[in-house]
Amino acid sequence: MAKDTIRVLLGKTTMECHDRGVRYLATKLRDAGMEVIFINFLEAREIVDTAIEEDVDVIGVSSSVEGHMPVAREVTRRLAELGKEDVLIIFGGVIPERDIAPMKTMGVREVFGPGSSADSVIEFIRGNARSRSFALD
Amino acid sequence: MMGVDTTAVKSDAAAGEPPPERIPRQFNPEFLEATRELERQWQKSFAAIAAKFGVDPANYRLATDSGLPLKPTYFPHDVAGRSDDAAAPGTFPFTRGLYAAQYQFMPWANQPVIGYGLPEDTRKRMDYLQSQGMTGYFGSTFYNLVYDLVSHEGLDPDHPAAEGRVGQCGMAVYSVQDQARLFDGLPLDRINVVHISYYEVLPVLAHYLAYARRRGVPWSRLGGNSMSWYYQSAYVGMTCFPPKSGMVLAVELVNFCTSHMPRWNTVNIFGYGMEEAGATAVQEAAYSVAAGIDYARACVVSGLHPDQFLSRFGFQISQANDFFEEICKVRALRRLWARKCHELGARDPKSMHVRIHSHTSGAVLTAQQPLNNLIRTTLHTLGAALSGVQAMEVSSFDEALAIPTEHAHTMALRVQQIIQDESGIARVADPLGGSYYVEHLTSQIEQEAQKLLDEVEARGGFHRCHDFIRARIEESAARWRDEVDAGRRIVVGVNKHVSSEMQDIEIFKLNPEAERVAVERVRALRASRDKERWGRAMADLDRAAQRLRDGEYGVLMPAMVEAADADATTGELMGVLKKHLGWSSPY
Repeated sequence: MAKDTIRVLLGKTTMECHDRGVRYLATKLRDAGMEVIFINFLEAREIVDTAIEEDVDVIGVSSSVEGHMPVAREVTRRLAELGKEDVLIIFGGVIPERDIAPMKTMGVREVFGPGSSADSVIEFIRGNARSRSFALD
Repeated sequence: MMGVDTTAVKSDAAAGEPPPERIPRQFNPEFLEATRELERQWQKSFAAIAAKFGVDPANYRLATDSGLPLKPTYFPHDVAGRSDDAAAPGTFPFTRGLYAAQYQFMPWANQPVIGYGLPEDTRKRMDYLQSQGMTGYFGSTFYNLVYDLVSHEGLDPDHPAAEGRVGQCGMAVYSVQDQARLFDGLPLDRINVVHISYYEVLPVLAHYLAYARRRGVPWSRLGGNSMSWYYQSAYVGMTCFPPKSGMVLAVELVNFCTSHMPRWNTVNIFGYGMEEAGATAVQEAAYSVAAGIDYARACVVSGLHPDQFLSRFGFQISQANDFFEEICKVRALRRLWARKCHELGARDPKSMHVRIHSHTSGAVLTAQQPLNNLIRTTLHTLGAALSGVQAMEVSSFDEALAIPTEHAHTMALRVQQIIQDESGIARVADPLGGSYYVEHLTSQIEQEAQKLLDEVEARGGFHRCHDFIRARIEESAARWRDEVDAGRRIVVGVNKHVSSEMQDIEIFKLNPEAERVAVERVRALRASRDKERWGRAMADLDRAAQRLRDGEYGVLMPAMVEAADADATTGELMGVLKKHLGWSSPY
């Protein structure tokens, strides 16, 4: 793996079966040259634990049937606690309009709703993920 | 082991015997020579028109959504050589439908999926839809009830992972008390209840059975469904049990119901979930049969005869966009399943029937211009009716946005009712039978699906092929999405006829108190129940689960009902199953 390869953790709760979109996204990010780790999580802390272990630059959480607010709260809170605010957090799936502003206040940088293309996600990640190329070895 | 009472198995030899060799092959050679000549003439006319559009007929390709090649039109010789197409509705291999009388005396059952919030919230919607004419068989009411995500995972609502998910996408029902909140006042022996669960199949049925016993209703008189969707972990991320454990749990239920609940449907083959995950129609047909036959074989190994349990297997099949392919898929599926079950030793026609609950596709509905979805679901429903299914759930037009509002739910029911009562399509059985195109496409799907089925069977059957099946389905899902993104597949409102105008529709909002109340209830239940009785019942259940893991059927389910009756919750009952049969066990 090149040092500047963007590493992305994609997650979806194991309670939900609507994972067609996020699985598709995983293959598209991979095809775009990113390193993708995919997990089905039970509790939100698993996302952060995995993100730290895998040293990812981006966390993407997919949610289609609510439950996204507590996850967003927990993920942003724990990352901030660990001083990892430079990890880019994005959400996708079916997120009601009313929740988007509060999620952004928490630290979620973008929410990709129905109809979003994989290309728009790739472009956003490339434009906003932390840079690895100048990281010290 | 369960006693085998073969005298109870009725046989209708005439309807169940393949193949109808006495029916001569279709069409005489002279006639076919004439129709081939007609096709040659037609080709010339077609080529002339194509030329005006700058199209070379030699390079002109048509295909179904599954990718099966099509001709621009079909002739009698395209369906010559087959005789089973000519069989009557109600005879093997049931291409034309399961029954001699299709909808003539009884139309398909209306089975909208219901379930959200607290059991009282769900009950309100059940009563409302019943008042709007939601009708099952013989005038009874079918309640198609979905449990929430927390329950699917086998958790209780006070588990940390449950936050924000209680009563979402299903109802917050975790105990016998909650069953009472759902069903008190309803005649349990005269309604039909589908418990839509994923992995918590046995716990929720145990709650229902304990509740029925408290009401004094014998289990033998209960009608309804358990889903046994364990094999779904092949194509969705949710997974509580390894494939083999799931099969063991399904076989346990089949054995229990064969002895105690003759009216209960034990296994539901969820082709719908496959197509929603991205499978093509051909894959849905093939992998549905593969999953069903794998479970059926396991039941036979447990000591049952196919005619004792196969008639209680049902199918939930998708109706998506490719109108004719979806219809032909259903016809082909009936043939494939009938042949496979006959091979397994089934002789009772009912054991070879693909009883279908059709679910119109949610995946092809759009968040953009949501009212368009009413038009899409109308077409899907019409297709399901023309293919001759037994029951239907029609997705609501707000499917892509949220749980259906009362208005959207009612409209979805009206789609069924208008087609049922106004269109006249229910008058004649198999109205498309004999169409050269429909018969040819039915056979095409059957042949292609048979190849996929053989592939899975050669690899040891469905439960050994989860990764293989997942990869196939993901390929199809990716192809579909790539085609939409590239504009090769048209989705009105998404990549064609896009409008910036918003269709302002009401979005369902869940009772905000549901989660708090559900948590309080489960805590109050644990505090107030007879702890000694609960402890004994849970210890018995633990031993029963060990015995099931060691291969002994018939002890787990009764122990689970006792634990449910001692007020064990869904999370507690599932905990025992996960301990002995879950991923972490040394199984």
